[in-house]
Amino acid sequence: MGFLYFPYSGLINAAAALVVGFFVLSKNYKSPLNRAYAFFAVCVAFWAANYFIWLMSKEYTTALFFIRLTMIGAIFIPAAFIYFVTQFVEKKRFWIHVFNIALIVVFLALSYSPLYIQRVEQRLFFPFWPVPGILFHFMLAYFVFGLVYAHTILWKAWKREEGTKKEQIKYILFGIMTGFVGGCTNYFLWYNIPFPPYLNILVSGFVVFVAYAIVKHQLMNIDVLIKKTLIFASLFAVVFGMFISITLLTQSLIAGNRFLGLAISSVIIILTVRRIENFLVNITDKYLFQKKYNYKDLLKTFTTEVLTVLELDKLVNLTVDKLTDIVKMRSAAVLLFDDEKQQFNVKASRNINDLSVTLVRPDGMLTFMDETHGYILVSELKEKNISIPDSIREITDKLNAELIIPMVLHEDVIGVLSLGKKKSDENYSQDDLDILLPLAKTLAIAISNAELFVELGRAQAEASQREKLAVIGTLSAGINHEICNPLGIARGQCEAFLLNLKDGLYKTKTDEELIEKAKGIMAKVIKETDRATAITKKLSGFAKPSKGEAEIVRIDKEVDEVFGLVGYELRLEKIEFDKRIQKDIPDLFVDKKQFQEVLFNLIRNAGQAIGDKGRITVTAKEEDGKIFIDVQDTGAGIPEDKIKLLFNPFFTTKDPGKGTGLGLFIVRQVVEKNGGKIYLKDTKVGEGTTFRVEFPIAAKERVKVSK
Amino acid sequence: MTKPRIVAIDDEPEFIDMLESYFGLRGYEINAAVRGVKGIELVKEKNPDVVLMDLKMPGIDGDEVLKLLKSMSPSPKVIFITAYDDGGKTKARLLNMGAYACLDKPISSLKALEETVLKAATN
Repeated sequence: MGFLYFPYSGLINAAAALVVGFFVLSKNYKSPLNRAYAFFAVCVAFWAANYFIWLMSKEYTTALFFIRLTMIGAIFIPAAFIYFVTQFVEKKRFWIHVFNIALIVVFLALSYSPLYIQRVEQRLFFPFWPVPGILFHFMLAYFVFGLVYAHTILWKAWKREEGTKKEQIKYILFGIMTGFVGGCTNYFLWYNIPFPPYLNILVSGFVVFVAYAIVKHQLMNIDVLIKKTLIFASLFAVVFGMFISITLLTQSLIAGNRFLGLAISSVIIILTVRRIENFLVNITDKYLFQKKYNYKDLLKTFTTEVLTVLELDKLVNLTVDKLTDIVKMRSAAVLLFDDEKQQFNVKASRNINDLSVTLVRPDGMLTFMDETHGYILVSELKEKNISIPDSIREITDKLNAELIIPMVLHEDVIGVLSLGKKKSDENYSQDDLDILLPLAKTLAIAISNAELFVELGRAQAEASQREKLAVIGTLSAGINHEICNPLGIARGQCEAFLLNLKDGLYKTKTDEELIEKAKGIMAKVIKETDRATAITKKLSGFAKPSKGEAEIVRIDKEVDEVFGLVGYELRLEKIEFDKRIQKDIPDLFVDKKQFQEVLFNLIRNAGQAIGDKGRITVTAKEEDGKIFIDVQDTGAGIPEDKIKLLFNPFFTTKDPGKGTGLGLFIVRQVVEKNGGKIYLKDTKVGEGTTFRVEFPIAAKERVKVSK
Repeated sequence: MTKPRIVAIDDEPEFIDMLESYFGLRGYEINAAVRGVKGIELVKEKNPDVVLMDLKMPGIDGDEVLKLLKSMSPSPKVIFITAYDDGGKTKARLLNMGAYACLDKPISSLKALEETVLKAATN
């Protein structure tokens, strides 16, 4: 039964024509145009359904009966189509219709005589293929002539019409051509040309094109809103039908071996099922759920997932992603105002043509938005025949934009939301605008919040930096010693040499000896200035703001580095420093500067807690995949009532001027930013205090640490 | 007139070296120590006219050393040279306790230091 494809192509054609015909009629059964189309569809369906029965017939008489019935359908098709076309292009052509009806009557009267179809016989693998009678040739000529005539009418109309109508005509033309090319493959065998009607299924192609024109170009004024389901269903039927046809055809080509055919179809199914599924999902996306995106869903997603985000980058990217996903638009972009450059830059985008597009103040689009706070909807402007200035056109092209909405906050345009065409090619409706405009307003608030938050973060980082500098300022004794002393010594060496020379104290020395002496002094001067330079470098390195990037950090080395800064001061206070770093301790993956800052603050705090005479012990060890760093002092300890306040900003026990109180507060922030924890491990009044810092062991990947 | 004898106590050998290269050539008897305890022994041994010392050195306390030196007989003049600065509080206290002078480190010039030493010795 290899040739099953052929009857089933008829069945699919019939189903598709019926479904669309019924749908069109149901949308507006009073409209003559819709009735005309429905009538045409019924004719096609009648033809195709009988075609199916004929090919499925097992007996000579049944086959002959049904092929005759099939051809009755065929008689009606050109007339019905011409009627639809004339309705569509609004031409009367009264006499043509009369002529058509007259011919139909004649053909109908003779349709069951052998003059039309003599008999049926075996042709190729069709057991009951019709043998034409004399009248058939006339009928076929009429059929072809009628279609050519209808095409001509459409063609002329296509050239004449503008806009939507032109598009509608185009699709009907495409559709009808496809359909008839498919249908015509039926007639080769009538004339004993051994080409079976392989393309018969293309008759359904007409349905697809008409469906597309309905959706895209409001063909027959059908409101697409509801019936995308139907389009999807018919598309599904067509795709599925084609698929079945292919497998049946495969079986027919490898006639006699069912299992091989089955195997091949299985392979094809396995290979293509994914693609077909994707195709269907895409189609569904495109037609079925396109316009009816769920407003509730959009609102819910934005209120719960998007608008609450405080990271600006994440917020704008989420906005673009969620909008394109939910509203199903081709492209989207968020542009925000850059204070420095005084222009709007693309901050997040999907599918736009030119990322570098900027909006500058005096430009037409912004002036328009500044003044009206209104949106720009390209299709609406087109509809109202408002020409779009080139400057604006250029921007919408670059942004791939259809709808541009300003994001306004307190009378200020803080950003621009650019939305591309919908994937369905439908225009933005008033309903869409009713939800998108307020959304843009809310977004403006959220973006402004996020910007403020970024600002706050920056202010915090600045506070941390100021704190660091303040702490360095209080290091004066140590710094003075470390920098000024070498310089003083260098100066003194030079002064001594010059004064000795002047006072004649080198008189007894030979020139060579003097040069040797001078050389020695210069070497000392160099050594001292190097000393001063080294400490300056260390200090300025420490004072620089961190880069905000984590790196592999060796604990031992950093403890030494920090001790280099505070060591002298500690020695002045007779504080011993004890470093107990576990051998082979794993490295940390943190911001180096920030880690130094943490150590510096803890050690310095310890020093201040001790005051005079004591010991600071820095211990580092690994335990359970974590690294523990303890800074222990033999200082005054922290009274119980102060423990709770330790990490509060501005809490300090130091004398006025000695500390701003931000120390531990900032230390905690910095530690947490680097993925660690800090807490008071132990304290006892009069005995000392231990602070503990925990870090995870360095992972291999690079992690961005915020400043 | 014989030049005053000096004992210098400072934990920085480079500083001592500078003092020696200046005062030594000019006929001063200058002895130096980099450790406080050693310095006190040196003072006891050499009985200098002037002691130049840093105020803050590991393991030594300026106040105590000053008391100790003042209690000696004859007691040397003590000139502190220090980078330590607490707004003049310590300086005032030391001067009160009988220190001859407190100079800032780094010293502005060796010549000025020499003048102070000479003045101290003749006083």
